[in-house]
Amino acid sequence: MGVLKSFVELIRGLGIAGKHLGRHAITIQYPEEKWTMPEKSRGIVVLLSDKETGELNCTACQLCMRACPTAAIDIDAPRGEDKKRYLARFEVDHMLCCFCGLCVEACNFCAIEMSTEYEFSTLNKSDLIWDKDKLQEMGRNVDYVDTRKKKEPKTPPEADAATKPAEAKPDVAPASTGDVNPETKAAEAKDATSTDTPSGDTGKEEDK
Amino acid sequence: MERLELKHIFSWLHDLLVSTGLGEPWLSVVTYLMLGAMMFGALSVIALFLVWWERKISAHVQQRFGPMRNGWHGWYQTIMDAIKLLQKEDVRVTNRDKFVFFWAPVICFVAAFLAYIVIPFGDGLIVADFNIGILYIMAVTTFTIISLLMAGWGSNNKYALLGGMRSAAQMVSYEIPMVASILVVIVYSGSLSMVDIVESQSGMIFNWFIFKLPFGPIAFITYIIAATAEANRVPFDLPEAEHELVAGFNIEYSGMKFAMFFLAEFVNMFTVSAIAVTLFFGGWNGWLLPSWLWFLGKTLLVVLLLMLFRWSYPRLRVDQLMEFAWKFLVPLTFANLLVGAAFKYLGWYW
Repeated sequence: MGVLKSFVELIRGLGIAGKHLGRHAITIQYPEEKWTMPEKSRGIVVLLSDKETGELNCTACQLCMRACPTAAIDIDAPRGEDKKRYLARFEVDHMLCCFCGLCVEACNFCAIEMSTEYEFSTLNKSDLIWDKDKLQEMGRNVDYVDTRKKKEPKTPPEADAATKPAEAKPDVAPASTGDVNPETKAAEAKDATSTDTPSGDTGKEEDK
Repeated sequence: MERLELKHIFSWLHDLLVSTGLGEPWLSVVTYLMLGAMMFGALSVIALFLVWWERKISAHVQQRFGPMRNGWHGWYQTIMDAIKLLQKEDVRVTNRDKFVFFWAPVICFVAAFLAYIVIPFGDGLIVADFNIGILYIMAVTTFTIISLLMAGWGSNNKYALLGGMRSAAQMVSYEIPMVASILVVIVYSGSLSMVDIVESQSGMIFNWFIFKLPFGPIAFITYIIAATAEANRVPFDLPEAEHELVAGFNIEYSGMKFAMFFLAEFVNMFTVSAIAVTLFFGGWNGWLLPSWLWFLGKTLLVVLLLMLFRWSYPRLRVDQLMEFAWKFLVPLTFANLLVGAAFKYLGWYW
């Protein structure tokens, strides 16, 4: 009977193989169709821009550069005329990047993010070093939640409204009490562009 | 519709050549060469199709896609592969046995194709209806063993030699249960001719030999097991066991020589399936559709079964293989033959 039983098992095995034959493939045709990557997946590093102004969120504080374990991020941030640091050069070397995400953890200004993009192979090694403009361009279609603390404009809203009556709106004043009306935010952001950058005390000793 | 017969095609070809005013000695030579080319072309197409079919079945059993790039679901993928193999360098081992190394793939290829002289693809679609048809097939397919041994010996490679020796042991062992299974059919059809065997199963579906209880199904099962071993397919693929022998007997072959082994393997698989259909599934017998379509359809179903074997069963060990053949299959097939013959003698059949 052992022979008969094992024979039945063989037939069952065939049945299982046949059942799989009828199933739909679980793989995908890669270049034609692609996976939608998980939201938190760590793809290529990009620089984020402000949603309204379209300028880089980066304040040239260089925290990401310090956080990077493989020194893939290279930043030049000299002081400008107004003694404030500006971002002269921001390069990410994707040959060195290990996609750990520590730079994103370190950033206080929502300036750097890991996108879900994973296709950046090139024929040339030097093409893997991405500069500021390219990183910004890549970051344009990355959605993010802006958690930056907005500084209040130094001039009080009333005074501002008085000087610029064209832009004055009746609900500008309640904005300071926590209203997150997008229009007022936009107005604030425009006002704050001059004062938004931090004082830049991170690199005083190098400053000459 | 006029019945499609190969001899009509032959005579049409002959008349065409006569009209060109060709003399007699050359007339026969050219006719036979053209016929040979016809068969070769048809079988190459079948082999190429089977390679694609195998890859698709393998892929879908594993829930992949398989070849998808070239044409609709990659239908001309194997044609491209064959062209690639034609272009490849023919690597020759320095210490090979030149004569044996060269002729092994040729013999393998020819032996695989010789069987098609007597396989009836449809009603009248047979090259030559020998009265020893099935015996002839058994005889010529044995050349495959010699070619594999030659390949193993000529390559001067330990893996190739092991593969060749294994194939010799395996194929000689499994020839016996295979023939014994076929003999049961011959007891009932009363003829070795393939056409007679098919015609003895004509009429209704229960005339097919597989429905002759109780020995019919047993004969089919023992035949298909032995045939799997003959065609060197999983779970009896010891001659080319990838994990043990790298590639087995064909390890030193490249380019077109490898392609010949490869195509011969698939032609062999089609051969054993075609024989199974002829002997057990009523050959070209069917309804409504043309006979050759029935034959091809049934054969592809048996091929599908062989391919499902590959993805269901693990490979046997060499000692298990031999034990299974000599201690189980041979006694079973002979007992089955005895029972079948007794039923025939007593008249307990329909």
